[in-house]
Amino acid sequence: MNNEILNSIRSHLAASAPHDRREQISRRLTQINADQIGVNLRQSAADLFRLSLEAVNGHCVIAQGDTDIARALTQIITDLQKTNLRAQRIAISDNPLVERLMYLTDLEIEALTVAPNDIFSYDVGISTAQAAIAETGTLVLDSADERHRLVSLVPPVHIAIVDASRICETLGEALALLRQGKELSRAVTFVTGPSRTADIELTLTVGVHGPQELYVIVNGST
Amino acid sequence: MKVSLFVTCLVDQLWTSIGVSSVEVLRGVGCEVEFDKRQTCCAQPAFNTGYREEARQVGRRFISIFEESKAEAIVSPSGSCTAMVHHYPELFADDPAWLERANAVAAKTHELSSFLIRVLKVENVGASWNGRLTWHDACHGLRDLNIKSEPRTLIRNVRGAEFVELEHADACCGFGGTFSVKYPEISVAILDQKIEAIERAGVQAVVSGDASCLMQIGGRLSRKGSKVRAMHLAELLASR
Amino acid sequence: MTSQTSETFRENAKAALADVHLRGALKHATSVFGERRKQAAAGLPNWEDLRTQARAIKDEVLLHLDRYLEEFVTNAESCGAKVHWARDAAAANSIICGLATERQARVVVKSKSMTTEETHLNDALEAAGMQVVETDLGEYIIQLAEETPSHIIAPAIHKTRGQIAELFTNELGMPPTDDIAQMTRTARLTLRDHFAAADVGISGVNFGVAETGTIVIVENEGNIRLTTSLPRMHIAVMGIEKVVPRFADLDIFLKLLPRSGTGQRLTTYQSFITGVKKQQSDEGPEELHIVLLDNGRSRMLAHPVTRQSLACIRCGACLNACPVYQQIGGHAYGSVYPGPIGAVITPQLMGIEKTSQLPYASSLCGACREVCPVKIDIPQLLLHLRSEIAPRKGGVAERLVFKVWARAMMSPTLYKLSSVAGRIVQRVTPISRAWTNGRDLRPIESKSFHDLWNE
Repeated sequence: MNNEILNSIRSHLAASAPHDRREQISRRLTQINADQIGVNLRQSAADLFRLSLEAVNGHCVIAQGDTDIARALTQIITDLQKTNLRAQRIAISDNPLVERLMYLTDLEIEALTVAPNDIFSYDVGISTAQAAIAETGTLVLDSADERHRLVSLVPPVHIAIVDASRICETLGEALALLRQGKELSRAVTFVTGPSRTADIELTLTVGVHGPQELYVIVNGST
Repeated sequence: MKVSLFVTCLVDQLWTSIGVSSVEVLRGVGCEVEFDKRQTCCAQPAFNTGYREEARQVGRRFISIFEESKAEAIVSPSGSCTAMVHHYPELFADDPAWLERANAVAAKTHELSSFLIRVLKVENVGASWNGRLTWHDACHGLRDLNIKSEPRTLIRNVRGAEFVELEHADACCGFGGTFSVKYPEISVAILDQKIEAIERAGVQAVVSGDASCLMQIGGRLSRKGSKVRAMHLAELLASR
Repeated sequence: MTSQTSETFRENAKAALADVHLRGALKHATSVFGERRKQAAAGLPNWEDLRTQARAIKDEVLLHLDRYLEEFVTNAESCGAKVHWARDAAAANSIICGLATERQARVVVKSKSMTTEETHLNDALEAAGMQVVETDLGEYIIQLAEETPSHIIAPAIHKTRGQIAELFTNELGMPPTDDIAQMTRTARLTLRDHFAAADVGISGVNFGVAETGTIVIVENEGNIRLTTSLPRMHIAVMGIEKVVPRFADLDIFLKLLPRSGTGQRLTTYQSFITGVKKQQSDEGPEELHIVLLDNGRSRMLAHPVTRQSLACIRCGACLNACPVYQQIGGHAYGSVYPGPIGAVITPQLMGIEKTSQLPYASSLCGACREVCPVKIDIPQLLLHLRSEIAPRKGGVAERLVFKVWARAMMSPTLYKLSSVAGRIVQRVTPISRAWTNGRDLRPIESKSFHDLWNE
């Protein structure tokens, strides 16, 4: 590859050579080890995940199996319906599990649509997450596996379901997981709690452009 | 042990009691103190302002004088001047002959509290001073030379002195050499944070290891009519 | 309010010092950020090790920047991204305006990007007839106020809630309030319309991974996700120094950046974008254009001392730690990049002609170096820049002073005489007045230590 910028880079690096003491620059990049920071080995990953998520204003429920998850969904949405967040128009991702779970609930709602075009008019988005990170309370959303990029972003409420078995302990592990055995997906998003800002007088405000409420239901039976 | 005193031009011209006290303290712990009368300055003002050629001229002279000393250590009552000497290798990086000589002199040059604690392993110099005092960490001493626990240990062993830790003891006093006169309003604004902390500490004296900081802090304290005394560590340690 | 320039730094600083509101806001912001950073760093027992590793990675990348950029470009393009090389600000703006015009864009949404501030992209887009909307809340506020950012991380930190409320009332018709949640809701609602209508989304890039061609962008608000998911074209502007070698390296940088910037373990969202979607029916933009910006960065590679400037990950920690920034804030620097890092990269990017005051606006205390996650030795850089500036721009008087000073320091006789002269002169020089306006001056001793020793 050859262009003005690359040539400029090369010539300036060459000019630096006499000044460099290159042997002092750590040349071989070390193996990056995923570190076990803050992991309490007596706690399950799910419990640690819940603590981490709640610390950033997220909500977490640990359920056991589909019926229990459906019950949790019912509770969440019913409670939301009593607030100004409405929870009447529900947008879901294309993971069949989500649709199945929604039909297990007995909810009265105005609309249930898979990845709608008019996503801005929906109140709640429901998806699964491909993985999670316990140490930070983070969800891993991989667009190669599910159509949830907008469902998890646009509606003011996002509900995510994740298997306990898919919770990594550390950020490093989650990054490694994304590369394992397959081509890196075109769009991966890490989500840690609801959207927030402190741009006005450094006062924390939850709920800016992304969702203002995040609920994660961990399927503990996996 | 024989030590060669590097008194610094600031102390020499503007605060001689620091030099006198340093000699007393060093003799008091059993050192023989020599003073090379040829010494002038370490070249920090020129180096900091960007005049490296002039800094090298003066630096070469410093190195030539002090490398002749038979003393085992060169001791200075200034963290910033000591740090400057430790920067000589950088100043002479492109000159292998001077680089070697610079390294040799830098290796022997110590700030006073660091010399007492780390080299002589002396923690109590037998000083006594009655009153409440606090310590200001001078930036170069703290960040270039890692001097933090040494002065505190020495002060805690001063009989009669009640030591209180200053809020944000490690915050800059705003001197910064020519910065203090190039941007005096900013310098004083930074200084006032330090002054407020000192006033809140309710002390009779603020102690530091650098005459430059003490001039800055003392100059503002006296301008505000404060009774708080700005005192150098050497002066405190020489008190009986 | 017109933006101030670096040339008038001294006057800018004085004005800032007289601004009571600003000083209060700065004191609050810098101490909160500083405290949070400290706690967050303390939460990782291997913090120092992470800093060392991060700096080692950056040193390696910068030393072979051409190779890593080539790798990045190859991998990004193999996934459908188009990469453009922009030599300078004008080139970047021209490329971006060209792309937007081809798209027949009318509305462009932007997320916070220092590089686009650097190139003054918004002006160029508006001149080309497009509506540009900043979507980061802080940037949106200052866009409405027609100001420039005063802090790398919190652009509107200098504004009180009252000032922002008044702005929203005047510009957006918001009913008067001082409730911050209400103001945020107003911004959210107003900006949603723009997100929905936008033809082009423009973002910056925090890290570009050479190994995979991935661009990584971090945020708290969600506006970056919206900007980079909804419009059909995404343009990502990336300084050439943002490359990291391997995907796994992100572990280190994603630990250092949020903790150093805001004291968070992780920001709310990280977007890892590699090329464009595989199928038309997938979500996300149809086109991804990555604009690589040089604009003076490659010049900094020419010396190890200056090269470290390019290690910066734009966390803002040095601003919060700096006693000068704490007093005067960002606008006084007259540059997109304020604070300690700004004082060293602004002269290098813009040339020293108009920026020569900046490296001198420091007491060299070193607090910045202590907090920098990639261990940039900013004081070393400041001194290096001063050594380039002084001989050229120091002024005849100053250069003469130091020549005379050197002569005096070389000779004990002259040295002694100089103190005699000093005793006389100290009362009247302007230098003396600069000191004595705020502080008492110790008089030169009638007997120097040299004299006392002789006795």
